[in-house]
Formats: sequence, structure tokens, C-alpha cells
Amino acid sequence: MVRQSTGLLFVLPALVVLAMLIAYPVFYTGLLSVTDQQGAFVGTNNFAAVLGARATPQAFWNTLWWVGGSIVFQVILGVATAVLLNQNFPGRGIVRSVTLIPWVIPGIVAATTWAWMFHTEFGIINYMMTAPGLIEAPIGWLSNRDTVLPVMIAINVWKLFPFVAIMVLAGLQSIPNDLYEAARVDGANFWHEVWHIMLPQVRPVIVAVTLLLVIWGLNSITIIYAITRGGPANLTLITPIQIFRLAFESFQFNQAAALSVIFFAVTIVVVFIYIRYLASSPAEAK
Amino acid sequence: MKILRTTSVLAALAASLSFGTTFASAGEVVWWTPNFNEARARELVAQFQEANPDITVRLEITVTDGLPQRILTALQSGAAPDIIDVQHGWVNGYAQNNLVIPLDDVVEEGRDDYVPAALDYVSWNDQVWGVPYRIETHAIIYNRGHFEDAGLDPDAVPETWDELVETATALTGNGRSGFAITGGGEVGNTIFRSLPFIWMNGGSIVSDDLTRATVNEPEAVEAVKFYTDFFTNGLSPASTLENDGTANRRLFIAETVSMYQSGQFDVPSIAAENANIDIGVMTIPHPEGAETAAILGGWSFVVPRDARNPDEAKVFLEFLQQPENMGMFTDTFPARTSAMDLPRFDDPILQVFKEMLPYGRPVPIHPNWVQITQAYFDGIQRILLGEDVQAAMDDAADEIQALLDS
Repeated sequence: MVRQSTGLLFVLPALVVLAMLIAYPVFYTGLLSVTDQQGAFVGTNNFAAVLGARATPQAFWNTLWWVGGSIVFQVILGVATAVLLNQNFPGRGIVRSVTLIPWVIPGIVAATTWAWMFHTEFGIINYMMTAPGLIEAPIGWLSNRDTVLPVMIAINVWKLFPFVAIMVLAGLQSIPNDLYEAARVDGANFWHEVWHIMLPQVRPVIVAVTLLLVIWGLNSITIIYAITRGGPANLTLITPIQIFRLAFESFQFNQAAALSVIFFAVTIVVVFIYIRYLASSPAEAK
Repeated sequence: MKILRTTSVLAALAASLSFGTTFASAGEVVWWTPNFNEARARELVAQFQEANPDITVRLEITVTDGLPQRILTALQSGAAPDIIDVQHGWVNGYAQNNLVIPLDDVVEEGRDDYVPAALDYVSWNDQVWGVPYRIETHAIIYNRGHFEDAGLDPDAVPETWDELVETATALTGNGRSGFAITGGGEVGNTIFRSLPFIWMNGGSIVSDDLTRATVNEPEAVEAVKFYTDFFTNGLSPASTLENDGTANRRLFIAETVSMYQSGQFDVPSIAAENANIDIGVMTIPHPEGAETAAILGGWSFVVPRDARNPDEAKVFLEFLQQPENMGMFTDTFPARTSAMDLPRFDDPILQVFKEMLPYGRPVPIHPNWVQITQAYFDGIQRILLGEDVQAAMDDAADEIQALLDS
């Protein structure tokens, strides 16, 4: 008993700091969301205001597409890269390092560079496509209703798939060689190995990485904000950017807080469902 | 403009940390001026000190990025400097929230000499809350060589909307766009360029009493259609939805754009980066039988309510507002008519910008103005993406109305 309370005493400073840095802001955001700028209680007015805004449902759907689209391709591409990098071939070390580059580049630098590359007039992508005659007129990648969000997703996939690859690769390397040998004795080919050994063995890694990707996708602002600021006409507006705009461009901190609370609730539900149904399977349990 | 109490507490904390030096001692005037004014400010301070040895002026240099937030923070923190350079449009918000002091006694001496629109901009409740020193508007910058290539007389510039469209059409082709509008970047770029067209057509975004959204009324819709049609009809570059004022300048320098709207500050950088361009400037064309219009931009001095030495600050402002000092200090044009006679404003390229000044108008002042302009800008972008003009402006009007009612 004495021991326990002494222990508590030792962690107390850390707990106090954590409470100040995490619990207080969360609580304060909740408080802001039900008050006005003078601090008076206004009930659900702020929630009504943000839910009534034309941009809110659009931002919500964009966020779903953004997170969903990004994760599917990040995971597929990342796992494929990991399997490839797990093979024996000359120069493997170099290829492994090069693969990591997109992940190492600072987000704002990558975003600005991509913005220039996709620019309709000056962009190298349009130049490379028009010069050999692949397309006749330059494509407005960032100003076309149908291309702008896919382009953003593509950039995000490029940025983060190396992370998935390196995590999965680490998992693959911990698979004991006996498993492969046993499979080969039974006449398994490469695809059998991928399907029946590699994927089941790295499943916990993929689950954890995907959860991280969901969280990063939901709170990512850099790429989209640096390239389109959520435009044109809100086509790439995702909820975190909408919150940022409300708070720091329009100074509507209370509405921004209300939207944050809603967003927080939705995120909790998504993460809960994910963990409940995808993460806790028999394979994971062992 | 009202900011949360807590924010201001944090602000005070931040201000006292980062601008601990702001606290002025007796007889000291602390002056915040943006970096583009620094060299000239130092010169004026040196002159002033010589004549007024008992007052010390301490310069603190600001940057325009994030300046509104930084100033608001300082104004609410109780640790404000004595003089701050702010954009005209911000002054009313400060006045209404009791953050600055009236300066009628300072401008009194030269009141009739000030450009009336500039004084109106910084007036509220029949008092003057800022001393305007710099004013500017847009005009249209054009490539005289392109006019000749297209068989047009570079001295016979378009004066009406119809003529502007004709000229832009003639200039377009061979990889050149006749008239570049903005449709991307920060909201302000497109407000500055499209709102004047609405005004000269007799329309507005919101009614004068700020109770009604008027952006979907026929005059405004016609003007918005006129503006966006430059893109729809292929006279503005394909990248219009990505382009802000800077992008248009780059395209003009690259000679892929023949005409675009901007201020005189673009002229030196065009001349520096592409000496081949023979730069012309024209007033912004207006509808047949109407007058042109522009948004009046620029900077004023304000004295915060919490200033330590407001009396000394006013003495210094008296000095700064002398026509020769104001004329020397401004980056563009001075807010006093008599200062305009200085030789530096005789440059022929500036004449058209000078002619535009009387048509400059202040933008409406409303606490939700940023969001109102965002709603309008979203509407413009939807039109550029192919939506019907009336439908887009109807939706924008709904959003703006909600912002006016809240």
C-alpha cells in the first residue's frame, strides 16, 4: 500500500502536465462549443450554425473519400513494395533507402513541389504529356472537378506508402525461415507463400499501421491546404481544414470548437468500429 | 473583431514574452511599421529626432504575414505600442471595439487636403480613428507589344466592357490569353478584382445597411457573368482557378497574358524580370454610360487605447502627416492631395493609377466580412467549374444572408 502511494507521488508531476496539456484543452474545446464569444451559454447554437453551413456536408464526404482512398492505395502499394523489398536482389539496400525518400521529405516542401508539377501552365506533368502528343491541351489537374481530389489522394499515397512498406518489411523479416521451408516441401509457389505465410504473419502490423493511417488521414491538413486551400469551390475541403478556416481565418472559435466536437465524435465511432471488427480476430489474438 | 477572453489572456502572455521590449519609457514612442517601410521609416525617425530631441521614437518592424492577428493580440493585451501601421479596412473594427483612440485633432489641420474616401474608410461615429497615409487602387496593366502584334493601337485602349471583351478576344491566340482574371489563391485576390465590376454595374454583395445579401440581384449577376466569362470564353488562361494576383503577374512576365488587373507595385518587378515588355496601363473599363470603380486599399496609422505615450505619438503623427513626409514615406500614393504634387509621382506610368484613385471605394465593414467574401468566392469558383451564374450567386446569397443574420 505504501509502495503504491509512493509510486503515485512519483508519476504525479507527469500526470499533472498531461492533464494540463491534453485534458484541459479537450474540456475547454467542449466548453467553447456551447458558449458565444462573450462566454455566455448558448446551447446548441454553434452546432446548428456549423451543421447548417453549406460546406459542412461537402467537407464530410470529401474527408471520407480522402481517408478511404488514401488508405486503400497506401496499404496495397505499401504491402506490395514490402514483399518486393523482402526478396533477394542486388542493390536491395539502396532501393530500400530510396523508397523511403517521399516519407522523409517535409510535407510542406512535397506539397509545394507537387503543386508546381501539377500546375496547368508551368507544370512539368502537363509538359511531359503535351510534348509527345499524349494529350492535346494541358489538363487543369488542380482546377477540374473530377481530378483535383484524386490528385490530392495520389500525392498523399506517394507521401505515406513508404512508411507502410518499411513497417510491413520489418514484420516480414521477423517471419522464421522454417515456415517457408515447410511450405516449399509441400510444393507451395511464391504466391502461396505471400498469401498463406506473409500476409497472415504481418496482419497485426498492417492493422496497427492502418489505424495510424486513419488517424493521420483524418487530421492531415498540410498537403491539401498548401496546394488548394480546400478549393476550388470546396472540392478538396476536408473537415480539419474547415475547422482551421473557421478558427484562424474567420475567428469563429466557438463554431470551430463545435465542429471539432462533432468531428471528434465521428472519429471515435470510426476507430471503435475498426478496432472492434477488424483488429480483434483470431489471427490477431495469437 | 471580438476575441475570446482567454485568447487575449494567452495573447497578453505571448505579447509580454515576445514583445517585452514594447513597454515604452516616458517620452518614448514605439512605432510598429511593416518591413517594406523600414528604410524610409528610419530616415523619417532620424529627421524627427533632430527636431524633437526630447521625444525618442523606437521602431519595431512587422511583417504583413499574420499581421492582423499580431496587432489584435497587442491591442487586447494592454501592452500595445504607441503607433501601428494598419490597413484601412481594419481600423473600423478597432474603433468599434474601443481599441484605438480618435485622431481628429491630428488630421484637423489638413482635413480638406485628405482624399475623402481615405478619411471615410477610417471614420466611425463621426470621428476619425486612423491617419491614412498610403492609398492605392488597381488598374489594368497591358503589354503594348501584344497590342501591335494583334493589329491594335496600343494607345487606343478599351474604355467600355464591350471594348474590353473585343480587345481581349483580338489578343487571345497563339498561346496568349487576352485578359487574365483570378480564380484561385487567397480570397482577397478575387474580391479586389471582381467586386469593382459589380460596383460599376450598380450592384453590390451586401446592401448598404448590411442587412440583405444582394449578390444574386441582376446588376451583380450580370457583372459576375462579365467577369467569369473571360474564363468561360477562353480569354483567361486555363489555369485561372489556380491563379492569384502573383500568378497572373508571372504569366504576364512570361508573355502568355496580355492584360491583367493589378496595382502599381507590380510595375517595377515586371520591368526587372522581362525588360522586353513595353508596359502600358489603362483605367479599368466600365459599362457603357457608367463610371469605373476600384477597391481603395492602403495603410493608416492608429494609436492604441493602451498606448503609453499617446501625446508624444500625436506629435510624431503631426510630423509624419506633413505632405512632404507622407509623400516620401508611402510605397504607392499618399493620402493627402498636396503630397501628390511631389516629383516622384510624376512618372508617366503612374498617371493612370493616379486617375483611378478618385474611383476607389472602401469595402463594406461587417464582423463576418471574411466569411461573406469566402461564400462569394466559392460561388465564383463554382461558376468557373461550369455552374450557372445565377444559380451559383443564389446559393452564395443564401450563405451570405445567414452570415448577415447571425
